[in-house]
Amino acid sequence: MPVFDPASAQGNVLGGVWLIFIAGALFVAAFVYGLLIYALAKWRKRGEGIPPQFKTNTFWEITGVIIPLLMVGGLFAVTLLGEYRVDAVENKPYAVVDAGAFRWSWQFKYAGSGITVDGTPDSPPTLVLAVGKTTQIDLHSADVVHAFWIPAFLFKRDATPGYTQHFDVTPTRTGTFEGKCVEFCGLDHARMTFSVRVVSQAAYDRWVSSGGTAAL
Amino acid sequence: MIGWLTSTNHKQIGILYMMTTLFFFLIAGALALVIRQQLAVPHNGVVTAHAYNQVFTLHGTAMIFLVVAPFAFGLANYLVPLQIGAPDMAYPRLNALSVWLFILGGITIFLGVFAQGGAADTGWTAYAPLSTIIEGSGAGEDLWLVGVLLNSIASIMVAINLTATIFLFRCPGMTMWRMPIFTWEMLATALLILMAFPSLAAVICELLLERHYGAHFFNPSYGGDPILYEHLFWFFGHPEVYVMILPYFGIVAEIVAVFSRKPLFGYTGMVLSAFAIAGLSMGVWAHHMFTTGVIANGFFSGMSFLIAVPTGVKYWNWIGTMWKGNIAFRVPMLFCIGFLFNFLIGGVTGVMIASPPIDYHAEDSYFIVAHFHYTLGGGALFAAFAAVYFWFPKIAGFKLSERLGSLHFWLMTVGFNVAFLPQFVLGMEGMPRRVYTYGATGDLPWLNLLSTIGAWIMFFGVALFALNLLVSYFAREAAGDDPWGGYSLEWATTSPPPEFNFHALPPIRSERPVWDARQ
Repeated sequence: MPVFDPASAQGNVLGGVWLIFIAGALFVAAFVYGLLIYALAKWRKRGEGIPPQFKTNTFWEITGVIIPLLMVGGLFAVTLLGEYRVDAVENKPYAVVDAGAFRWSWQFKYAGSGITVDGTPDSPPTLVLAVGKTTQIDLHSADVVHAFWIPAFLFKRDATPGYTQHFDVTPTRTGTFEGKCVEFCGLDHARMTFSVRVVSQAAYDRWVSSGGTAAL
Repeated sequence: MIGWLTSTNHKQIGILYMMTTLFFFLIAGALALVIRQQLAVPHNGVVTAHAYNQVFTLHGTAMIFLVVAPFAFGLANYLVPLQIGAPDMAYPRLNALSVWLFILGGITIFLGVFAQGGAADTGWTAYAPLSTIIEGSGAGEDLWLVGVLLNSIASIMVAINLTATIFLFRCPGMTMWRMPIFTWEMLATALLILMAFPSLAAVICELLLERHYGAHFFNPSYGGDPILYEHLFWFFGHPEVYVMILPYFGIVAEIVAVFSRKPLFGYTGMVLSAFAIAGLSMGVWAHHMFTTGVIANGFFSGMSFLIAVPTGVKYWNWIGTMWKGNIAFRVPMLFCIGFLFNFLIGGVTGVMIASPPIDYHAEDSYFIVAHFHYTLGGGALFAAFAAVYFWFPKIAGFKLSERLGSLHFWLMTVGFNVAFLPQFVLGMEGMPRRVYTYGATGDLPWLNLLSTIGAWIMFFGVALFALNLLVSYFAREAAGDDPWGGYSLEWATTSPPPEFNFHALPPIRSERPVWDARQ
């Protein structure tokens, strides 16, 4: 489950936000379920008596506004802090990859190396990243709206025609991860995948200097 | 037959609305089973990718435009004049026009099935440029666009009619602050429709102009902008979410109060929260666009969080209504309790995805699919069934079977949660929505199979509902005027009510005139 075990620096920030929100959601659900079950069990129908006909209680009604207000205020603060850290882009990334989305695959161009990888739905391309190093992705689309998602990094960004998006990914462990298009883009949307190969910095440098031919 | 075709009576039009939504509900439900059957195992081949894309497009379109929203319009058509002591809606002929435009729109959308290239296959959101420059160049997409346009015009007519009726047609003594909560929620809904639906009608016209007359609103090669489409669509689309839930909040509030034998707790707060939700919902549309990277995420996130506050007030007041009550677990109440348990999951996950850092992972994954099914399926649909069981005796004059009804409730509750709880995990594990196939990685295979099993349990639940209609029709157990000990004016007339609703009205001294008259 990537939420509990993110594989990038940005993912660690996002995973922290997830954990806080999951805890909050479970707490609220437990509290409200508790009240509901208590009320349903304690005041289930017993005879034909008419219960007390109260309609208002100013104290509890105001409390019912203030408590949720404080809770969402706290969650909003967590949101802003998390988002600013993830949206930040480094001035000098270790690598820059131009990611082009098209129906129905991806093209990855590694800046300054001449390496270009084209995929098809039948042979999805591989995105190579160096572990512990920040790669800037420049994302754009050639036709319709796509979205670039690496679940293990807990991150996605839309590829909207007419726009180029810049964001950083800094993988924290080596391995192979799934990437996919996650904005519906037509017939072969489900097969518009790629894989992410995170390797050591040395292996990455070797791979780049060999023009993308060296084994990873 | 001719009577039904030419009727301008609000009760017949309400029944026409509700019967039509039942028809489309069965179709859209069958489409959902096709979806779940295709996804039951990895690399399945029940339908092709092209067919699958049409199936989920029609499923979503039908459930949203032809079931959940218009069922509330139908119920409101039937109930609002009764609840405020009026003989009919303010504009009976406009009312007839709106129901027939709605039915025509639904048929138009589904006619795409017979078009060359099939029905629309761009999802219910029909994002440009997918729906303009490349995909969906067939007549199916055009039929979809025209059908949705007719639907939006019909919805605007309903909203005008309800607003006018509520403001102008209340009987003597029925002040605004004595109106039943369902009528209040429908007023908030109607005002929301008037603000939001013109944006849908406009954006559909733009798509038609772009597809056929060389306009370039959304094509960046000619200076257009796909983000503009997303803004215009969601400016309608998010308020639409509340159009599909506010009426059901009202239904639950009415039924919970009656079966707790208590007045609605926090009536004023309930009314104010409905308008707070409606108002805030006009300022949250771009939370559907957090991952575009071109939105002021902080603003739209903050506004979305705020909606949790008036929604929390509603929960607080529902619980307050049951507090110290004498709660009878009849079938309408069971469905309301189901609503309270299911919708809470939709609510807390809704707060989660109001946060952009969560959306960076959850957006457009099965997490979102699970979230909105908990609000619209576990929420609105459960409340709709509650409404059917509650008001059916009034409308038909005879009761539905309690035994089949509670069996229906339990199958729906178990099936629904088995179908949709696993989808939260599917999304978190990385399954995108709107995919016709997936690989056998991680927990995807067994969670998908579980979800499919849940869908089939729901199928048997709905089958029992159909059986209940049939059995009760032949049993014909007379309902009487007021089978539940109701509060609002519809229980002060016969079941079914006479053509102009009332021969005499009880005095109206509070929001519970029928309760007052009984004491």
